Amino acid sequence: MPTEASSSPAAVWAILRKECRSEWRTRYGLNAALLFAVTSLTSVSFAVGRLGDRPDVLAALLWVVLLFAALASLSHTFVREVEGRTMTLLRLVASPTAIATGKLLFNLLFLAVIELVTVPLFLILMGAPTPSWGPFLGVLVLGSLALGTGATLVGAIIAQTRGRAALFAGVSFPILLPVVAAAVSATRAQWSGGSVAVELRLLAAYGVALLAASLMLYDHLWED
Amino acid sequence: MILRGLLLLWIAAWIVAAFLWAPLVPVLGPTTRVLYFHIPSAWVTVLALGWSMVHSVLYLRSRNLEHDHQAAAAAEIGLLFCVAATISGSLWAKAMWGAYWNWDPRETSIFFLLLVYGAYLALRSAIDQPERRARLSAVYSAIAFVSVPFLVFVVPRIYFTLHPDPLINTRGKIDMDPRIRVVFFALLAGFTALFFWVQSVRVRVARLERRAEER
Amino acid sequence: MSAAAAAVEARDLIHRYGARRVLEHLAFEFAAPGVVAIRGSNGAGKSTLLKIVAGLLRPSAGALSVQIDGRDTPPLARHRWIGYAAPDLSFYPEFSAGENLVFAAETRGLDAPPRAAQRALEQVGLASRSNDRVAALSSGMLQRLRLAFALLADPPVLLLDEPGSHLDEAGRAMLTDLVGKRRTTHLVMIATNDEREGALADRSVELAGRGLGDPA
Repeated sequence: MPTEASSSPAAVWAILRKECRSEWRTRYGLNAALLFAVTSLTSVSFAVGRLGDRPDVLAALLWVVLLFAALASLSHTFVREVEGRTMTLLRLVASPTAIATGKLLFNLLFLAVIELVTVPLFLILMGAPTPSWGPFLGVLVLGSLALGTGATLVGAIIAQTRGRAALFAGVSFPILLPVVAAAVSATRAQWSGGSVAVELRLLAAYGVALLAASLMLYDHLWED
Repeated sequence: MILRGLLLLWIAAWIVAAFLWAPLVPVLGPTTRVLYFHIPSAWVTVLALGWSMVHSVLYLRSRNLEHDHQAAAAAEIGLLFCVAATISGSLWAKAMWGAYWNWDPRETSIFFLLLVYGAYLALRSAIDQPERRARLSAVYSAIAFVSVPFLVFVVPRIYFTLHPDPLINTRGKIDMDPRIRVVFFALLAGFTALFFWVQSVRVRVARLERRAEER
Repeated sequence: MSAAAAAVEARDLIHRYGARRVLEHLAFEFAAPGVVAIRGSNGAGKSTLLKIVAGLLRPSAGALSVQIDGRDTPPLARHRWIGYAAPDLSFYPEFSAGENLVFAAETRGLDAPPRAAQRALEQVGLASRSNDRVAALSSGMLQRLRLAFALLADPPVLLLDEPGSHLDEAGRAMLTDLVGKRRTTHLVMIATNDEREGALADRSVELAGRGLGDPA
């Protein structure tokens, strides 16, 4: 007779693995996202050339490219379930929190992969000065965590609407804007030799606040 | 019926007083009068947002559609007042400092509130089923509640560390002559009452719409 | 699991889709063991009722409770005690039948998920198709897969919406056998218009749009 272990961590892990396996099989999401990131990066680089002496513009461009890449891809994990009509299956094997958390972790992983490709490419193509690696990576990590958390919740919401992906950018923008603002400021500061402590604390606080609110709200996402 | 008439008379009377009775603030000159309109509009924007968010959370806890009617109505009205505040602020900025938009902290904050309202209403318009619309917009409202303090207080400050502006902004330091204070608070009260009145009408309409649908 | 005492109770249950009232003041109480048929014409609310029992749908008004061993089960966690199969249950097309069930078993936290999946497939006669992609399955095989999914964790309550659809004679025999084996140990609720499926039941609820459900 099958018995059941305490479901949540196992469920989250199983869902994360399923997302990864699914993405690996179809690969359409990752390809599209990487293509998008590289294309926008190439357009920017082609248009403005090397900007080694403008850390302010560099910081802004980097986060604009990352934001757009996130907006182009982080809602897919929910939209695919809705369009493939597999939400019923998911809801019958896991709690809403487990589902959303599993997909959140997947989105963070997805973002990390995109950044692994995009960021070095950016630094090279744009002729950026060498970053202060500690602060630079700190901003990247904390910024991505906050970006992913916000985008996952909004993605889950808009997947249930008409218009979905088209709505995603506009509806998520107010939620993601604090992340982009703080990240741009910090990225620029670390190139100018300034301190990023304030922005890092901000990103961490905002990320934690978003996560805490999300964990309370996930249960309300699916009721029909 | 009578209260409505009295409210409109109240507002009209104090608008006249703003032009004929209250003095001008020296540093603002003839543009003084905008503050009677602009600041109450901004206040109602914030009030409406808070009202909407509170009712969103109440909806999530009770699933009573009444709260959804309140939240949606407040958002619609809040958007109108937000547009009014943004435009009046912009015109005032043009008169005072020669530019319609400066990304000055308060301009930035009111613009972000415009974005939040817009996103909330856009989301609602994309869902047909009443319960799903109520639930998902309430969830969004709740998460936006986390973002608003960051958008209104933190982000403008970040902008200013990025672009320290020599433009001197004295709007915060208005020394209010007693007559100015009277007109200002009278209109502040008037605008608040106006919000609650329009809100109650809008909610009644929503209730009737729902009842008609369910028949 | 199967030995758990299960009961499903509806009190003044109402559900609306916008302007259309689908369930109205429905009341009943069914306790395990047994097989209940939920009858009604198209659009009478059979699928809606099963969705509410499964915890997939929150009713507009009224209460529906599913009790296991005397304790109420919250809707968001109800999947732990029910098995559900309905025409709109879809699987991941990029995975095989077996992989879909293994995923379901893993997520549910079952012991030895591959074995649970294999056992479920065997019960519905799909063991040989375990490695076939879902997209390659016929409608009849897809229906068997849905039944396998419902049986996966051997839940005390089985909710079957039109379980015989697309099944050939062998499939229907399998279904009859499946339900028959659980008649004295589980609570099975079957939503159906089909007399063959209805004949499996020893109790029934008639949904008539406006009006009370009347347990036979």
